[in-house]
Amino acid sequence: MNANPPRVATWLLEQLLPEESRDAVIGDLVEAYDAMRSEHPVRARVQYWREAIAALASLQTTPHNVTAYTPATRESLMQSVLADVRHALRVLRRAPAFTILCAATLGLAIGATTIIFSVVNPILLRPLPYPDAEQIVAVYERDRDGSASRVGYATYKDLRSRARSLQHSAAFGDWQPTIFGSNDGERVQGQRVSWEYFRTLGVRPLLGRDFTEADDTPATNNVVILSHALFTRRYGADPAIVGRTLNISGVTRTVVGVMPPSFDDVMQPDAQIWRVLGYAESDGWACRTCRHLQMIARVRESVPLASAAAELDGAAKQIATEHPSSYAGEGALTIGLQEQVTRNVRPILLVLLGSVIFLLLIAGANVINLQLARAVRRGEEFAVRAALGAGRRRIAQQLLSEGLVLTSIAALVGVGIAAAGLPLVTQRLPEGLPRVSAVGLDWRVFAFVAAATLLVGLAVGLVPALGAGRARLFDVLRGGGRSLGGTHHRARAALVIGEVALALMLLVGATLLGRSLVRLMSVDAGFDASNLITMEVQAAGARYDSAAHVFANHDRIREVVAALPGVESVGLTTQLPLGGNLDRYGVIAQDKPLPNPELAPDGERFTIGGDFMRTMRIDVIRGRRFTGAEARDSNVKVVIVSQSLANHLWPGEDPLGKQLRVGGPSRPWREVIGVAEDIRHTGLDATVSQQFYVPERQWFGAETQMTLVVRTTSDPASLVGAVREAVRSVDPLQPIAKVATMDQVVARSTSQRRLGLMLFAAFSTMAILLACAGIYGVLAGAVSERAREIGLRSALGATPRAIVSLVLRQGARLAVVGLLLGVGGAFALSRYLRTLLFGIEAHDPVSVVVAVGVIAAVALLACVVPARRAVRVDPMTALRSE
Amino acid sequence: MLGELEQIVLLATLRLGGDGYGVPIQDAIRKATGRDLTLGTIHKTLVRLEDKGFVASRMGEASPHRGGRAKRHYEVTPAGLKQLRASVRALRRMAAGLPVGLEPT
Repeated sequence: MNANPPRVATWLLEQLLPEESRDAVIGDLVEAYDAMRSEHPVRARVQYWREAIAALASLQTTPHNVTAYTPATRESLMQSVLADVRHALRVLRRAPAFTILCAATLGLAIGATTIIFSVVNPILLRPLPYPDAEQIVAVYERDRDGSASRVGYATYKDLRSRARSLQHSAAFGDWQPTIFGSNDGERVQGQRVSWEYFRTLGVRPLLGRDFTEADDTPATNNVVILSHALFTRRYGADPAIVGRTLNISGVTRTVVGVMPPSFDDVMQPDAQIWRVLGYAESDGWACRTCRHLQMIARVRESVPLASAAAELDGAAKQIATEHPSSYAGEGALTIGLQEQVTRNVRPILLVLLGSVIFLLLIAGANVINLQLARAVRRGEEFAVRAALGAGRRRIAQQLLSEGLVLTSIAALVGVGIAAAGLPLVTQRLPEGLPRVSAVGLDWRVFAFVAAATLLVGLAVGLVPALGAGRARLFDVLRGGGRSLGGTHHRARAALVIGEVALALMLLVGATLLGRSLVRLMSVDAGFDASNLITMEVQAAGARYDSAAHVFANHDRIREVVAALPGVESVGLTTQLPLGGNLDRYGVIAQDKPLPNPELAPDGERFTIGGDFMRTMRIDVIRGRRFTGAEARDSNVKVVIVSQSLANHLWPGEDPLGKQLRVGGPSRPWREVIGVAEDIRHTGLDATVSQQFYVPERQWFGAETQMTLVVRTTSDPASLVGAVREAVRSVDPLQPIAKVATMDQVVARSTSQRRLGLMLFAAFSTMAILLACAGIYGVLAGAVSERAREIGLRSALGATPRAIVSLVLRQGARLAVVGLLLGVGGAFALSRYLRTLLFGIEAHDPVSVVVAVGVIAAVALLACVVPARRAVRVDPMTALRSE
Repeated sequence: MLGELEQIVLLATLRLGGDGYGVPIQDAIRKATGRDLTLGTIHKTLVRLEDKGFVASRMGEASPHRGGRAKRHYEVTPAGLKQLRASVRALRRMAAGLPVGLEPT
């Protein structure tokens, strides 16, 4: 512990104490500190600070009230600021209701802003957590419609060898292995990456070594690197794990490294284990049209991204001309990695940031409004001070300090709210969002809060100060506040109009998002999500080395689950609708030869077992379903296509009996026996929904990982445990993952919209309440200021009706002007919401009308209380006070 | 008439003869009354008492163990003593005969 007393405190004392007592007081403090230090070093420091603050508070020249009004030139700036802060605290303590109201409303708004900013900050604003992250790009093939498409392995190899501007590049794909222990199997999310993956990101393993080129061949493809989380959770952070072998999905693999805890894999935030890609160019899945890999690259430091992008584009065009039958589009798309990984969330996050700043503006306006109302009542106080010699600048400085102190209190409240509320929001963030682990309150967030607080505080302090500066002080003294009221009144009306306008814009946004979600949820997904249990099951490991064993396992699972009471039917599928797992194939019709097979329409593949289509209630509208015997015969090749795919392949023709092929010329032709209703697979808002269904025994090979779907006769949640047990009884070693009801799967596919709507709705509710509080405040103020006039009017025979309409007219003026401005603002800004909308236009008139109606109704309510108070004004009291 | 704080500080200063300054005055008050006055309060009171002429002060020698800062020693002036006497007497008279356990024994 430092032997010297706290230096900052001593410095403050030296600056601020009057000279004649400076040495004596500081000396006494030091002496007391020294006496205590040996026994209680910490307490001594605390006590020193306490003493120092008390000394500053009591010893700064003569009483405060006078200090505050002596011209600023005679005090140091620091002294006058301190005096102002103390004065402000006293003023605020004397008006607890006002202080609490302001601190609570502004605090809520600052808290909400802080929460949104701390989510936006790591995801959109901070660079990705890699060295020179701006040099890392994602590379895609350009599809024929100009969109980005994943790359085949051969294309990746060619681009890698041709592009000189790349320092490192890597290809990667999804991998979900099962790690077997002595008596369990755990499914984890992994990634299959080419050897330069971590080098491209610029991150090295914490323990062991990185992948090398020698690892990345089919023969040597048996090493893995673990995430730090998996290393800690499953292997107790024992470094001896490096070099040991693990049974991973039935294959023995050696752990060669562990990544550092700080490593955040933005391509696959849930990844816990990595293995090398290990493709040979002769592998069937390494072909040019096998577009299932993603590619990233690190551009050399000296090369601008644009020229790297141009080089890649040129190389890709060259490759396409060399292999014309493998490419439909041409060229390559190069996108900054950060832009790529945040592309889906960027619009919603920016819109939320904008909306919460609106809320902050409204809350700030509301506090200014309340301050102005108080300034009217405090007119006399200011006048007296001015009469005692305080300059206008001094009074303005005072008001400014009040504003800053008030907003600082609100900022403390806001940071508290943010600390409490942030986990609630992060929990609800959509899955797979990059950089969520970095969401938190760090110094950047605090700097942002401090800056926002300062701005709001300046506004809260300056607006009333300008009004006070302009007022003719002696008029105030003579007239009891009326002239000050005039200037302030216009300012307050303008503020309320602004609040109403902003609140309307927020509410229009919330209504648009709400109506979109309603539209989305009423979309016919093509299947019936009610009463369905889904879970991923697996047949991995040495015992399932042949396809027959895998199919036997699937049959057994279906049998035991179907035998459970309460289960209506059971099916298996490789792709769960809306489950986020997409596998598209180009579909070729036998009777429609194409010059380039790449021009074939895409179909979403569903390899299914059991009564999948009946269980999901996917209707077959023409032809028939697979029969049991047919599905079990691997020599038969039958297929069911969805209606859109059928229309695309055979427009105006009968698809039944036609032949189609997927997966390349070596694959068999399959006969179309049925046409099914389209289902929404990529999302309820999917634009493409063309599917084909193939029985699992007739696909290219056995699929070891499938999703079990179970239709129950009653509440599916109550049967989940029984189904899980039944599956486990077939093979206790096989992991079960992603257990959910289908309703939950559907809800999760819209989680981003739900979160956006929830926050928008919360912000606009607060905005409306604040705006209406503003209207109420202005009207209430006006009624009490005009009490004399109102009293005179009723004495002269005005009916209560006339008086009510007098107040209502004033309120209506504020609301109508605000609403008009708000409608204009909503029309101007709602286009930023366009990407978040579904089924309605950004300029949806219904949403605007609904929002206007709601705000008008609430504004009317805000007018009622002041109007009733106006009616009750006793003419005699009002007249007597004149 | 002296304020209560002034009385206490004045009495403590008196107790310390002519050598009283902030820290021992604080200690004396703490020991006698259990009240933990801050040094700031004590100095402020002393400054006020000095303005009224009830105490006189002189700067002491700078000593190394206080960070090289001099003490300001306070001494009760005759006027202060007179005032103190009046105050205490007044207090005693006000308490006389009342069953508050303060009757002279």
